[in-house]
Amino acid sequence: MKILIIEDELDLSSAIRDYLTSEGYLCETAITYDAAYQKISLYSYDCILLDLMLPDGDGLKLLKHLKSLQKTEGVIIISARNALDDRITGLNLGADDYLMKPFHLSELNARIAAIIRRKNNQHSNIFTFNEIEVDLGAKTITVNRHEIHFTRKEYDLLLYFIYNKGKAISKSAAAEHLWGDDADMADSFDFIYTHIKNIRKKLSDAGAKDYFHSVYGLGYRFTDI
Amino acid sequence: MNLFSKYNRVLLVVLLIGLISVGILFYNALNYTLNNKIDENLREELMEVKDYLHVKNIFPAPPEDLDLVIEYKPAKKTSAVLVPGDTTFYNPRKQKKESARYLKADLLLDNQPFHVLILNSKATQSRQMQIVFLAIIIPVVILFGLMALFNRYLLLKLWSPFYQALKQIKSFDIKKGGYRSVKTDIHEFRQLDEALKQMTTQIQDDFKEIKLFTENASHEMMTPIAIINSKLDTLLQSGTLAENDSKALLDLYKATKRLNKINQSLLLLVKIDHDQLGEKEQLCPAELIRQKVNNFQELISQRHIQVTCNLDDTTVLSNKYQFDILLNNLFSNAIRHNRNGGEIHITLKEGELYFENTGNQNALPESQIFERFYKDPKSDGVGLGLAILKQICIKQGYSLNYYFRLPMHGFRIKFG
Repeated sequence: MKILIIEDELDLSSAIRDYLTSEGYLCETAITYDAAYQKISLYSYDCILLDLMLPDGDGLKLLKHLKSLQKTEGVIIISARNALDDRITGLNLGADDYLMKPFHLSELNARIAAIIRRKNNQHSNIFTFNEIEVDLGAKTITVNRHEIHFTRKEYDLLLYFIYNKGKAISKSAAAEHLWGDDADMADSFDFIYTHIKNIRKKLSDAGAKDYFHSVYGLGYRFTDI
Repeated sequence: MNLFSKYNRVLLVVLLIGLISVGILFYNALNYTLNNKIDENLREELMEVKDYLHVKNIFPAPPEDLDLVIEYKPAKKTSAVLVPGDTTFYNPRKQKKESARYLKADLLLDNQPFHVLILNSKATQSRQMQIVFLAIIIPVVILFGLMALFNRYLLLKLWSPFYQALKQIKSFDIKKGGYRSVKTDIHEFRQLDEALKQMTTQIQDDFKEIKLFTENASHEMMTPIAIINSKLDTLLQSGTLAENDSKALLDLYKATKRLNKINQSLLLLVKIDHDQLGEKEQLCPAELIRQKVNNFQELISQRHIQVTCNLDDTTVLSNKYQFDILLNNLFSNAIRHNRNGGEIHITLKEGELYFENTGNQNALPESQIFERFYKDPKSDGVGLGLAILKQICIKQGYSLNYYFRLPMHGFRIKFG
């Protein structure tokens, strides 16, 4: 799985690259418009992360160029501009998603995973993590052929952890995933604990192993190790 | 009192006083002249009587003039009085009372003293005087009237640049078009115009600069925050953090989140100011409120807050994004400043929305709570939520009020 990171801030670019590399992706970076233009023209990727504000050009133009090449890469716009116009223009131009800076790397990873899965597995929307089977189309989760009833938030949260399996996820990242912009309304994310507790109970009732591990009281790691 | 009425009032008083003085003066002068003429007549008549006495030693026959009456009365002695004056008398020939001039004299006829009283009716002269008076006064009054009208027109014309400038300044909106220069060849108005132009341009420039600065500063801060955030996420993956480190990491996450929140709020304020948030549409607030209650269920139940909704099905014309933020901020406020086990009452009626919550027992200062960065000392918000709420209400044309009715703090929004 190849990913192109078009981002002019080196520190941010490297953090993204490190995180995604550890997830098993092959990452390339471009820090200027020109470099990105060349890479897009020459190579193919599974997903492209696109910063709209580059020192030598507008990221939206790159998007247009990409679409003019009839390429099918998934594109996630990552921008500090939260302008509604940009978001709409970007999505209209064929971007698959729009992520507002600052974002959590786990969120970015989950979005990439969702896009790649959508692009590659046109026919099957089902993937598994050990005994847990997720049907993305029907939004259901089955363990040992027993469907478990999760609330929408619980489903979203579990999927988020599965996408980021092996990674420590802070409560605030989890809350932002569930609530988006509204997450900053909460002063504490203790309610995440309640959700996790419920998910754990439902999974273990269905006979699944407990994959949630608390990380320093900051968050959780979903892992089978 | 406006300029015109003030000016007209002064003008009218001056004109009236002038007119009356001129009238009195004119009347007296005319009267004096006419009286002199009559008196001369009277003296001539007296001379004639004297002539008759000298020459023929008889009184002359009564004059043919209907206005002239001569009376003779025997007197005991003669005195040399010769006084003309005003009087009224009964004119036997015209058979009516008339005002008249008279002249008295004592004369000797056959060494007998006689009073001679010559009366000249003023009827004819009065008519003459009236005619002359009117002939002069009426045109003067008309002239004054015309002058007042012309003055009004002239004033309106002269002051028109001033009124144009005034109208513009009154409707001046810092965010909209600037001040358009008013054409005039009057020096003072041109100066005023230039000063206004300069002032408004300066104000608008400053305002734009401040907004641009806020926007740019917030955008510039976004990248470092993004870097901090991503590095924290990376750090969290490390399996070798000590207990102390994780505590520090938690605090860093919190601080970053807070910084981000301030930044986003400032940007949001700028955006609402800029009207960058899209078109208005018909929304169903009751439905949106129910969704929010559902969405914030965790926060509500975490603090054991009882939410009571009393929602009528109404529609509101609003920008969807802004309305969403409005509800968020109302909820956020009602939850954050509530006490554990408290209550929230939401009432939606036609055109009105009430958000009430329990909290501390004292009213908040209404004049301050909507100011940017105002916050309760105990609150850990950033102090921009209510400022954003206010800004949205201004932009959407809603009225927003805070009230306190023990034990509930309330916000009332009137749509439209």
